[in-house]
Amino acid sequence: MMTSKDMDTMNDKLIVPQKFKNLLFGMIGIGVISMAAGFVLDPQRAWANYLLNNYYFVSLAIGAAFFGAIQYIAQAGWSSAFKRIPEAMASYLPVAAVFFLLMYFGMHTIFHWSEAGITKTDELIAHKSPYLNIPFFFLRVILFFGLWIVMVRLLRKISLKEDEVGGMEHFYKSEKYSKIFIFIIAISFTLFAIDMIMSLEPHWYSGIFAAKSFIAAFLHAATVITLIVIILNKIGHLPMLNRSHLHDYSRYIFMLSIVWGYFNFAEFMIIWYGNLPEETAYFVNRSGGAFGVLFFANIILNWFIPFLFLMPRMTSRSKVFILPVIVVLMIGQYTELYYYIWPDVVHEVKFGIIEIGTYLGFLGLFTLVVTNTLTKASLVPRNHPYLEESIYHQF
Amino acid sequence: MIMNKRYLIGVFDDEHTLVDAFEKALEKGVVIEEVYTPYPIHEILTGMKNKTNITTAAFFFGLFAVIMLLGGMYWAAVVSWPLHFGGKPFNTFPSFIVVTIVATILTITILTLLTFSVRSKIYPGKKADIIDIRATDDKFIILLDQEKMGMGKPEITKLFQNQGATEVYEKDANTN
Repeated sequence: MMTSKDMDTMNDKLIVPQKFKNLLFGMIGIGVISMAAGFVLDPQRAWANYLLNNYYFVSLAIGAAFFGAIQYIAQAGWSSAFKRIPEAMASYLPVAAVFFLLMYFGMHTIFHWSEAGITKTDELIAHKSPYLNIPFFFLRVILFFGLWIVMVRLLRKISLKEDEVGGMEHFYKSEKYSKIFIFIIAISFTLFAIDMIMSLEPHWYSGIFAAKSFIAAFLHAATVITLIVIILNKIGHLPMLNRSHLHDYSRYIFMLSIVWGYFNFAEFMIIWYGNLPEETAYFVNRSGGAFGVLFFANIILNWFIPFLFLMPRMTSRSKVFILPVIVVLMIGQYTELYYYIWPDVVHEVKFGIIEIGTYLGFLGLFTLVVTNTLTKASLVPRNHPYLEESIYHQF
Repeated sequence: MIMNKRYLIGVFDDEHTLVDAFEKALEKGVVIEEVYTPYPIHEILTGMKNKTNITTAAFFFGLFAVIMLLGGMYWAAVVSWPLHFGGKPFNTFPSFIVVTIVATILTITILTLLTFSVRSKIYPGKKADIIDIRATDDKFIILLDQEKMGMGKPEITKLFQNQGATEVYEKDANTN
């Protein structure tokens, strides 16, 4: 057990070894090569990969930003020592913004509704075209990312200032802006998920889709936050991490995976029971072959395994049990997005070196940005009013 | 009802003196029968080593409920009395799930309530078995069974008083 005097003098700074950075650059290199090979060999598949990985990591960043905001609003004490990790993950947003703007060059390949002249032959798309058109689409991308980046930067600035100055005013300020931020996320991420994933099939709509995407983002962000905390602890940082913190993190994963399962089922159940042709088409398109398997794989990976494995108190307090669940959930997010995107963009199951390489590339970039932000400030915040509570957290 | 049990009772004013006395007593090998506090205290929960298995029981109640509910609905809708509803198959598994979730929660709640009641011997209309009424307000009580305390009465009395007990007294279990 550490004393508070240890904490006062502690300056827990992350230094990234050059070897690790080289590894990340290597991963990014693999990603670039796979993407390039994809664009030459199979552009549709390459753009599908591009969208999937972009969305994958932006949902981690937004989920982490939301996680951090929730901790402030709930005035949660336990997590305050680890608040640099969600902050660092949210710092990926500016990079993601550039990638999403670059999607301009692949619009016609990815989004069926953006094809020239389709509004003349397709009445439904013509009806939706005041909303689904390329200029407005990118206006929304710019607006959403602008709002997110401004809010994330603002909260980060207050958090760093608190380190230097101290006092309660920074905490109250963070809480106030967090309250604004969750409303921004609620509205903007809803529309963002509709734009990026649901509009892949513009004839189809589902009221709960955006809520489900948001819960998926929150779930997988909580998972990755836990993963980063455990890794940092293993390499000798964040010495205050104890079994109670782990239990709290795994409660987040457990709770969110139940909510995810609930939303996923609610969407499917209503569509299956209502049996309306324009709604069932989505699942009919995705019921054959490997997509039919993926439908069940999603449920098993994202709900069943976390639900079963994190239920007992013993497993939800031990790294040995949490780490495999985290890996399962990270795969689960990939398969979920694959299940949404591939039938509409690639039209068949294609999985190979291009997919793995692109994922590795984006993972390397994400890790590089996150570790880079982590090195910029003390890993443990100073002067946070709940810091002491977080260090001695026990239940 | 426990006949002719004689208790030694230590009364404490606040959490810290209670926890100190509790840990000191455990260290010296005193066998503690029970601790009554106005609110739950972590150190007491871990120190008493009273691990509950009711969560495991609840899991198996849930498993039992899921199997019985799905089996029951399958039997009713497919085997015993198949009916056509708007072209749906007889085995409408997704619509069984909603009922299963809700009824499983209900089953777990009722069965764990019953299990808990049986294990702690309480039933509706039972008279409350309160050792010291002040433990329901703001006092902290350590209860010792005089027959198996692990230490002499004077030593324990002295130990509690040194640790800040406001009162140490004896009481018969059946003289409520």
